[in-house]
Amino acid sequence: MKRALILLLAVALLGCAQHGQKQVVVIHGSGATFPLPQMQKWIADFEKTHPNIKVEYVGKGSGGGQNDFKQGLVEFACSDPPVSKGMWMQFEKRGQPLQFPMILGAVVVAYNVPGVDHLKLDGKTIADIFMGKVVYWDDPEIKSQNPGVNLPHKKIIVIHRADSSGTTKIFTSYLCLVSEEFKEKVGSGKLVNWPVDKMGRGLAGEGNPGVVAILKQTPYSIAYTELAYALKENLKIVAIKNRDGNYVLPNETTIKDAFKAVKAFIPPPDKGYEEDVSQFLNAPGKEAYPLVAFSHALVWKHYSNPDVAKAVKEFWTWVLTEGQKSEHIVKGYVPLPKDVAEIGLKAVQQIS
Amino acid sequence: MRKLKDRLFVAYVVLATVLTILPLFHILYCVFANGVPVLLKGGLEFLTGTLPAPGEGLGGIGPAIVGTFVLTVLATLMGLPIAVLTGVFSAEYPNSVIGKATRTLLLIMMEFPTILVGLFVMDILVIPMGSYSALAGALALAIVMMPYVAVYTEQSLREIPSRYREGAFALGLRRRTVVFRIMMNLARKGILTGILIGIAKVAGETAPLLFTAGGSYTVYFQGIDRPIGAIPLLIYQLVQQPYENYHEIAWGASLVLMLIFLAIFLPIRLSVKEVKL
Amino acid sequence: MKMDRFKLALLPVTSVVFGIFLLMLIVYFTASLPIFEKEGLAIYTTNVWKASETGQEFYGVLAAIYGSLYTSIIAILIAIPLSIGFAIFIVDYAPKRLKEPLIVATDIMAGLPTILYGIWGAFVLVPFLKKFVMEPLYEHFSFIPLFSYPPLTGYSYLSAGVLLAIMVTPFACAIIREAYRMIPQVYREGAFALGLTRFEATKVLLGYIKPSILAGLLLAFGRAIGETVAVSLVVGNTFNINPSLFAPGYTISSLIANQFGNAFIYKYMPSALFAAGLALFVIGLVVNVAGLLLLRRWSYAKA
Repeated sequence: MKRALILLLAVALLGCAQHGQKQVVVIHGSGATFPLPQMQKWIADFEKTHPNIKVEYVGKGSGGGQNDFKQGLVEFACSDPPVSKGMWMQFEKRGQPLQFPMILGAVVVAYNVPGVDHLKLDGKTIADIFMGKVVYWDDPEIKSQNPGVNLPHKKIIVIHRADSSGTTKIFTSYLCLVSEEFKEKVGSGKLVNWPVDKMGRGLAGEGNPGVVAILKQTPYSIAYTELAYALKENLKIVAIKNRDGNYVLPNETTIKDAFKAVKAFIPPPDKGYEEDVSQFLNAPGKEAYPLVAFSHALVWKHYSNPDVAKAVKEFWTWVLTEGQKSEHIVKGYVPLPKDVAEIGLKAVQQIS
Repeated sequence: MRKLKDRLFVAYVVLATVLTILPLFHILYCVFANGVPVLLKGGLEFLTGTLPAPGEGLGGIGPAIVGTFVLTVLATLMGLPIAVLTGVFSAEYPNSVIGKATRTLLLIMMEFPTILVGLFVMDILVIPMGSYSALAGALALAIVMMPYVAVYTEQSLREIPSRYREGAFALGLRRRTVVFRIMMNLARKGILTGILIGIAKVAGETAPLLFTAGGSYTVYFQGIDRPIGAIPLLIYQLVQQPYENYHEIAWGASLVLMLIFLAIFLPIRLSVKEVKL
Repeated sequence: MKMDRFKLALLPVTSVVFGIFLLMLIVYFTASLPIFEKEGLAIYTTNVWKASETGQEFYGVLAAIYGSLYTSIIAILIAIPLSIGFAIFIVDYAPKRLKEPLIVATDIMAGLPTILYGIWGAFVLVPFLKKFVMEPLYEHFSFIPLFSYPPLTGYSYLSAGVLLAIMVTPFACAIIREAYRMIPQVYREGAFALGLTRFEATKVLLGYIKPSILAGLLLAFGRAIGETVAVSLVVGNTFNINPSLFAPGYTISSLIANQFGNAFIYKYMPSALFAAGLALFVIGLVVNVAGLLLLRRWSYAKA
């Protein structure tokens, strides 16, 4: 009995100690792994100059982030696709949500085929691969676009996401645009039924990191992931045929080209659901990379705890201003143009 | 022919033993072989620091260690009274319907899939509260721990020779004095064993914490109504990511967890004859 | 029912334990109702995971149920010879000095944090099985359906089954060992008096404790099917129903562990997952109660 009391005291003291020591405010966020490496860099750099605010971000897929945000389990969330109208209405039951773009990124198709270092594919072929129609690496559809490349006669292992993912939504939306068959058979979404699973050639990973881990250890596999991961892990990337007919590799230039070619429609932050996730997909332009998209942040207009509100405001203001400067950008992402960042900034200013 | 069969039989029996025990040694070996270099490289910082970004070194698992400690203490505080009293009830009234039913229920709950406990606590506590929390995690652990402590309590009480009970009653003591003052004291070693076994078990549990504790590895304890991390949970999350440094941290954390587990488990096990797990 | 103040005082506490259990059952039932209303039993009989925010959701967890059963059966099949052999060794053949350490080792294995099995499974066991067991078998025997799936990553029913076997064997062994140890000397002496070899004598004695062996295996099965963390790191987490040992799959517990994080944005997913949990609840309950009843009946028969 005495022991129990002492333990209780110790725990209480621990709790008090943490609260009383320094006024450190902790804010929690979760969501997409598409922007995860960038979030981690932002958090690390932000905390260096703001020692009394700590930010915890857990990457679990856009779906997981929207989930946590809806349940009120986190202070902010990150989602690649803009939130759907139905979900937005659900959010509104809790308060006024605000959504704004925070970074520009690209989805790439990476592959692991020993001996093959350059691969060119068009949208239709990619759709056929991920639908399961194209079975072998040396299929005529692939071969015809890559003369001279030594493609092995091995089955293609398709790696996709197991969790509800914004990266999946972006990728499948693109495939729906370039292949009617894909649109019919699979459709687009954060979580879809991949036909390759039933054919025994599908593998699923948790989050972009999970997918990359599987890709690295599975020869003859193909996967979709965000550019930053491919660059960091030195993955081989497919050059995709864009709308104008050129095969392009993703990089800062080709991403910017896609963005510039489209008149971006970014709705006011309190109507985030009006945005279209596929607005930059398959963009026109000679050097435009066809799989470009924003990643968005979700915050509440009001927080019951004023310290939390202040911290959230400070963090996101920093992200939209300082964070967009090149020294804080991770390779594989492109900072927002000033006017786009402004939209987010105006929203963040309203947080209280 | 019969002799040959006999010989083969002995060979099979020995083989079965080796195959069953070998994995334990291999696991211990792997955890040591992979974890010790990490601990040496990280030094004391590994035990006190916080989780780094991918690819940026070892940092530390401090919040996870504190989290495991806090969760275990809270779980014990929450589950202990009920568990011990339930064990007492079971021991004092072994022939009543409720007593028998309780014992059966406890044995069932000992084998219950722990993920289901975690899911249950998420539904009744995390969602209404609106946040992952140490409280929820501790509650899930408490539910997992209770059957063990209760069964050990009951067993230890039953093993006390009846003459002590009879003597106490003969002296005219009331039932509750007999039980709480006399019997529990006599059984205290067994009960303590049960408590420590329960603690060793829940300190290593992952599934009950998956949707209750939330996980928090860059900040230390923020209050029982806020998310908290734990060593097993951290290892689970790190193993699924592709970054080299995270895998190293996972092995280091595994070593720490294993040492904690053995430190609690071995002493009790070696001083007691039978352990029911 | 005799009532005294003491009992009365303790009753509320004991009812808390019952209460928690009942509450769990209620929560699982009520949370599963929405999906039952929507799909009926199709939630259990189909293999589909169609998540959609716009209303055409459909879920079927057959793959997970199949995987849970398949991996646990593999685990038990491996555990049977191992746990019986080990039990016999400890009781009959082990030199005195080895007996206690072996028993302590079994207890450590039974209590070891399952995540340690998981990390070892994912980083050590899976590559080993892939390279030395699955690939050779696939190369030479892929015409047999059991071996017909190409071992791509090593994450498979087999890996999960083997890992589970390693985890539950000590547990089954403890039960069998106790029963075997407690066979009255009379029977042992009788067997030898009849001139049986050790092998034959053991066979007879084992026949005597059959219910205990069955109980031990049932309880081990119950433990295997409920295991979450270690399994989810090695089973592959794919919606698959495949007879091949080398195919990846899902188990109920790893399905819940993986999908719950994003379940709430879909209208019916939480309910579907609770329904899967309910299935696990029921299977676990049935198996464990059966095992416990067998154990109890055997101990009564003995006395």
